[in-house]
Amino acid sequence: MTYGTTVPYSASSPGPRGSQRVSPGPAGTGPAGTGPAGGDLPRLLPVHGAVPVDLHTHVSRYAAPPYFGHPGQLIPVLKAAGLTGRGGAAFPVYRKLQAVAEARTRPVVIGNGAEGEPASDKDKSLLWISPHLVLDGLQLAAEAVGSQAVALYVHRNARLQERLRAAVAERAAAGIDRAPVEIIDAPPRFLAGEESALASRISGQPAMPRFKPPRVFERGVVGRPTLVHNVETLAHMALIARYGPAWFRAVGTPGEPGSMLCTLHPADGRRDVVETALGTPLRELLRLDGTQAVLSGGYHGAWVPAADAARMTLSNEDLQPAGAFVGAGVLVALPATRCGIAETARVARYLALESAGQCGPCFNGLPRIAAALDEVASPRPDPRAVTDMIRWAGLVEGRGACHHPDGTTRFVRSALHVFREEIRNHSAGRCVDPAREPFLPLPADTALAAADWS
Amino acid sequence: MNGITQSTALWYASRATGVVSLLLLTGVVLLGVLVNRQGRLPGLPRFVVTGLHRNLSLLGVVFVAIHVITAVLDPYVTIRIVAIVLPFSSAYKPLWLGLGAISLDLVLALILTSLARARMSRRLWRSLHWLSYAAWVSALLHSLFSSTDLQHGVLLYLTIACTLAVVAAVIWRITHAGREIPREERAAATLTMMSPRGGPQAPGSPRDGARRRAPENVR
Repeated sequence: MTYGTTVPYSASSPGPRGSQRVSPGPAGTGPAGTGPAGGDLPRLLPVHGAVPVDLHTHVSRYAAPPYFGHPGQLIPVLKAAGLTGRGGAAFPVYRKLQAVAEARTRPVVIGNGAEGEPASDKDKSLLWISPHLVLDGLQLAAEAVGSQAVALYVHRNARLQERLRAAVAERAAAGIDRAPVEIIDAPPRFLAGEESALASRISGQPAMPRFKPPRVFERGVVGRPTLVHNVETLAHMALIARYGPAWFRAVGTPGEPGSMLCTLHPADGRRDVVETALGTPLRELLRLDGTQAVLSGGYHGAWVPAADAARMTLSNEDLQPAGAFVGAGVLVALPATRCGIAETARVARYLALESAGQCGPCFNGLPRIAAALDEVASPRPDPRAVTDMIRWAGLVEGRGACHHPDGTTRFVRSALHVFREEIRNHSAGRCVDPAREPFLPLPADTALAAADWS
Repeated sequence: MNGITQSTALWYASRATGVVSLLLLTGVVLLGVLVNRQGRLPGLPRFVVTGLHRNLSLLGVVFVAIHVITAVLDPYVTIRIVAIVLPFSSAYKPLWLGLGAISLDLVLALILTSLARARMSRRLWRSLHWLSYAAWVSALLHSLFSSTDLQHGVLLYLTIACTLAVVAAVIWRITHAGREIPREERAAATLTMMSPRGGPQAPGSPRDGARRRAPENVR
């Protein structure tokens, strides 16, 4: 069951555009207060297309956020719902809340909307279309851990930030918010949304990851325990607080309940943000004919052959045995007419250049891997390049302050496996796509100056 | 007669292990500078330098321990046990033995924090590790002035050589730091070095070439 919309907001052209995609699922929720049927989607996005939801519409659809009156009350509800983080790691949400709520110092609560993944639009879209759901979640999370220091961390985009500031001011004026919310600017870097980089940025340092432990929920922003949740996670939280765990579990699978936002890149080159239930077959999300492979989990994820993807559902249960995962819901269908190795090489270069340059294995290893993959993408490559790459990948994994080296090698390793036929083609001096028109989206800029990180 | 032989044995052991300790600590400092600058020893991979730095420091602790124990046991001068770790509390040459005690305390602190490095904050570990220079300097002064052994002959030349080596390493470290690649540009520098076919720019993206962003575009 999927509800779709064309991308209403993107970094290249901010603001709403395009029209509503026909919804394949039953649309429509009950009037305010009656409680919608659990199986209905969309939950987070508006029922009617990509029109941004203002405060009035928001309150009449969902009612005001249901404050519990005491810290900690929301935590068992979230545990029963089985909500996991929608930023990519799928960590149980209640565990972070519990750790932060039990801390002895006053915690900080941050909504993480820094969507550094170039192929993902879902956080930007959610913030643009349903900002009040995210802000509700932020308030409820702050109440649950007893915090008054609350911020929303979003990418540098004047229109979006202006809109969010207006929404925050409107809520404060209407007496909905209990804690003041600050909007904080994230640098346009792949790693800017990594928890410890976020904590560093908000503490006034460059947005670079640091070694863990201590985890951010133990010591984060200015040394205080910090609850960081992806903005979509907060939106789900706002609805679970209203309608309860059973409602949340009405869609999804028992192991991975609920719905999630996905950014879909079908083979025809479009880009859609949809809300879909976990456990939805991938072939319902992406037309797989004419597709050779599906990238799941974004640029830290993995390629899966299209024939295997056709038998899988959107769930870690299905994807993890294939080396992939749901992540933040990026799904790309690579057309059969494109070169998977060349595409992966372009992205690997980008990922290497997004290294923060702090850990030797990362800033020395990833460029070597990217250059070797470039070699494999060229006609009649040096036959040692593939074995070199696999050796170097083993040397960088698990040796960074963050998971950037691990995610990058996972992506590259999967390409070497899934596109092995294409590597053989290159050895013979052939390529399925000699024109090499770029398919996977990448930002134009690379991070080469200190100013890029703050 | 027997007693005198035993006594001279301890005396020699203490002096000899003291000299070896100074040499080992000097080696540890030199390797530490090399690790810090991500340097290499000819023919050895980088991680071997790190391993050598660590193992040599542990070996140094063994020699320092023998040096201290034999000095205390040696009946030639009476050194109270507390003077080993409590600086300037010795009746015999309080200043120069005190420097030795400081050096020992610092070395123990450095070893213990390094063994517990995974459990502590990097910044704290790093700032504590700066103390290694103080530990080396106090060890050097202690060696030079608590006995006259190092003040002439071959051992004097050895001491001068150690001092020059550490001074040279520190100068190299300072000047090298100035020419260090900023961390934001490290990956790009490696990529340029690795790619015969082009610079750090992702192929297919609008900007071409391996240039840094023009200054006017930098926020």
